[in-house]
Amino acid sequence: MLVRPGEKVKVKVKVNGIWYEKEVEPRKLLVHFIREDIGLTGTKIGCDTSTCGACTIIMNGKSVKSCTLFAFQANGAEITTIEGIGDSKLHPIQEAFKDNFALQCGYCTPGMIMQTYFLLKTNPNPTEEEIKDGLHGNICRCTGYQNIIKAVKDAAGRMR
Amino acid sequence: MKYSGRSIKRLYDDKFVTGRSSYVDDLQVSAMHAGFVRSPYAHAKIKSIDTSEALKSPGIVAVFTYKDFSPLLKRGIGIWETYEDPKQWKFVARKALADNKVRFVGEPVAIVIGSDKYSVRDAVDKVNVDYERLPSAVSMEDALKDKVIIHEELGTNVGFDSTFSGGDVEGSFKQADKIISVEITNNRLIPSPMEPRGIIASYESGTLNVWYSTQVPHAARSEFSKVLGIPSSKIRVIMPDVGGAFGSKVNIMPEDLSVVLSSIKLGRPVKWVATRSEEMLASEARHNTFKGEVAVKSDGTVLGIKGDLLVDLGSYLTYTAPLQPAIIPLMIPSAYRIRSASIRSRAIYTNTPPITMYRGASRPEATFIIERIMSTVADELKLDDVEVREKNLVKPDEVPYTNVFGLKYDSGDYISLLRSGVNKLGYYDMRKYAEEERKKGRKVGVGMAFYLEISGFGPWEYGEVRVDENGDVIVITGGTPHGQGTETAIAQLVSDALQVDISRIRIVWGDTEIVASSMGTYGSRTISAAGSAAQVAASQVLEKMKKVAARIMKVDVEEVEYREGEFINKKDERVKVSWDDVAKAGYTGTDPGIYAQVTLQGDVTFPYGVHVALVEVDDYGIVRVKEYKAYDDIGNVINPALAEGQIMGGTVQAVGQAIYEEAIINDDGGLAVTYADYFIPTPVEVPQITSFFAEKPHVSAYPVGSKGVGEAALIVGPAAIVRAIENAVNKPINKTPVRPEDLI
Ligand code: FES
Ligand code: FES
Repeated sequence: MLVRPGEKVKVKVKVNGIWYEKEVEPRKLLVHFIREDIGLTGTKIGCDTSTCGACTIIMNGKSVKSCTLFAFQANGAEITTIEGIGDSKLHPIQEAFKDNFALQCGYCTPGMIMQTYFLLKTNPNPTEEEIKDGLHGNICRCTGYQNIIKAVKDAAGRMR
Repeated sequence: MKYSGRSIKRLYDDKFVTGRSSYVDDLQVSAMHAGFVRSPYAHAKIKSIDTSEALKSPGIVAVFTYKDFSPLLKRGIGIWETYEDPKQWKFVARKALADNKVRFVGEPVAIVIGSDKYSVRDAVDKVNVDYERLPSAVSMEDALKDKVIIHEELGTNVGFDSTFSGGDVEGSFKQADKIISVEITNNRLIPSPMEPRGIIASYESGTLNVWYSTQVPHAARSEFSKVLGIPSSKIRVIMPDVGGAFGSKVNIMPEDLSVVLSSIKLGRPVKWVATRSEEMLASEARHNTFKGEVAVKSDGTVLGIKGDLLVDLGSYLTYTAPLQPAIIPLMIPSAYRIRSASIRSRAIYTNTPPITMYRGASRPEATFIIERIMSTVADELKLDDVEVREKNLVKPDEVPYTNVFGLKYDSGDYISLLRSGVNKLGYYDMRKYAEEERKKGRKVGVGMAFYLEISGFGPWEYGEVRVDENGDVIVITGGTPHGQGTETAIAQLVSDALQVDISRIRIVWGDTEIVASSMGTYGSRTISAAGSAAQVAASQVLEKMKKVAARIMKVDVEEVEYREGEFINKKDERVKVSWDDVAKAGYTGTDPGIYAQVTLQGDVTFPYGVHVALVEVDDYGIVRVKEYKAYDDIGNVINPALAEGQIMGGTVQAVGQAIYEEAIINDDGGLAVTYADYFIPTPVEVPQITSFFAEKPHVSAYPVGSKGVGEAALIVGPAAIVRAIENAVNKPINKTPVRPEDLI
């Protein structure tokens, strides 16, 4: 794709079941596109180096840190964000996070839940080690993780 | 049904688990974006700033520098005078942007305002600043020489110099069987709440609205008022959801002030949300060294301590930094009966990013110092860790106890807690296990540490309870919860006091226009201070309800008894009126509505406990904390799951402080500003954590009887973990973090 300075590119993505088509600067990060152009602010930003996982979403069935991609790279993709899981009622993972005191300030929570969503899709019955491994790209500064790990186990049980 | 004492689920989780939370960056306010031009040098004169190229950049509205803002400033950002005495300090109140000099790498020099953050970032690079580099003093040792002076007006880099003395220090050293030297360092940390700080300011027709990721909206309002000369009645500070703070968001940053000033100058909303690197530059913590001597008897009795404490301030005095050098010495005696001590505490300006505060602020430092002292005494005299502590702990009949510096400990039985704690946590079995494993060649170690914490911090907190005309209850609290879940605990307290279902209660906080006054959430004080204020307001409300009920039932108020939703005539129990009817009657015009506003005074209180860690060190010196156990007397526990959450979160931060986290600053004063360099524990690094609270707690003087738990694990954890590492590798350690290279 060739884009001249100052030109925008067209991005068409399906987010939580709805197609969006927008013109964006080619350098715009996907996380900014989701938050600002689409207006879904559930996906958070916690770092500049793709370390924290606050921006985790599901894209074409895989979890990705949406700060590591440009919006145009998602062209044609299907994306699920925290707003897109669970419909009229909470998703079992969301319930499990609540019931296990797995959040404090809540800032890491959307990313944690989306990563858990992916983890449990690929491994519906993870061991404690597998959970820790699966979430190790997501930082939580508040909870100490123990209740998050409990919540993931609990969610796995609820989803079986 | 009583709510207090039970692990009631957090009331407001839904928005967080569904992505409907709204932190500053999520607010839909159409604002201009701000970005900062920052100094590349640790110390330099600003010769000139050329903004012309930046202003030509598309979408850029303005670039402001010190000169633009200084006419609008009545003064710079002050210190937290509730707790800190400006008279003890040499400091220059920090202005919005660097004046004629920059004093650390990353210091904001100019603010760029534009239509979106990408164009702002482009324009930031186009601001041309001409610097003349000056020699810098990055380390405390260099700064102490006063060859390079960071603030010329002060004539020295020593911002605070005070000696805390009590008892007969020389005498105690004469009586000593042995004098032990110690040197103990806590390196620099970065608090790192997951939500970086952010602010939106909107100034219009003389009124300033601020949405602010803060712990102290009222303190911020008052500081903005003083700095800008705008009456505080015309300033509204709103605290949206705040994504963690750990003390760091009590601070008002020059960036924040610059955003407010830009909004005033432009007459339109301006927004800034820090990037992670900016957050890391804005707020750092700890960084201090204690060098001293300890006078001991050969049975382990500590007679006296003397020493020198050096505390780094970074390049400017922040709102909260004065706490550390003033409180660390006071808390060094901890729960031990140390009757003579002399500690000179000095705080030093360096050409590094400013120090703020971080969970525990001063108590982790003091605890690390005194627990290192106790462990060193045990090692030198070949005594057991627990024995040495038991020997020195203040006895139960001596409490309330006034320590050598005059600090009065309110309640507690330290010795019993230590004894039952080590039993309950299985400390000796763990020690035995570690010893067995070491015989097999594995480097496993177990360590313990004791702490006494000062918390609550008075001086007062605000609580308001309103029963509306439908009988539903709004609680307006001066507490400012931002993750702790204390809003739920406050609801539990009010719910019990009024005997109404918790679902009818809503807790409101963090808006200066709604909350009449507030100190805020910090210092493990929310349940004790804000919870008590709400509880007292609830009981006053109930008294008012009784009066209304008496009027309805046409009896004397003394004859009214309230029981689970009904006001009953004691003399004739068939005569009663329901909660809802009384509430409705309270709004007929005869009564002025049913509410109570309470400003409840309070004081400091002293929780304490013992924690134990088990670690394993591999051949490369890499430490894994495998188990961590806590036994704490935090007074009454209102919601055990929330309290446990504080212990678990603090524990993992303690793991970070003990072995992973260190703000790395190079010789030129450059801070490594990414999470690749500053390692925050992930789920992979966490130990198995177990937390117990004393069955028979010693309560505080606060009406709810709690003492606080927000900081405990980070206060004592590093000491316990470091002791475990020493046990594993049989090598003395005197600092945090412990690096692999220290162990091989
Ligand atoms: S914001 Fe994407 S990983 Fe931190
Ligand atoms: S709950 Fe605050 S960062 Fe995870």
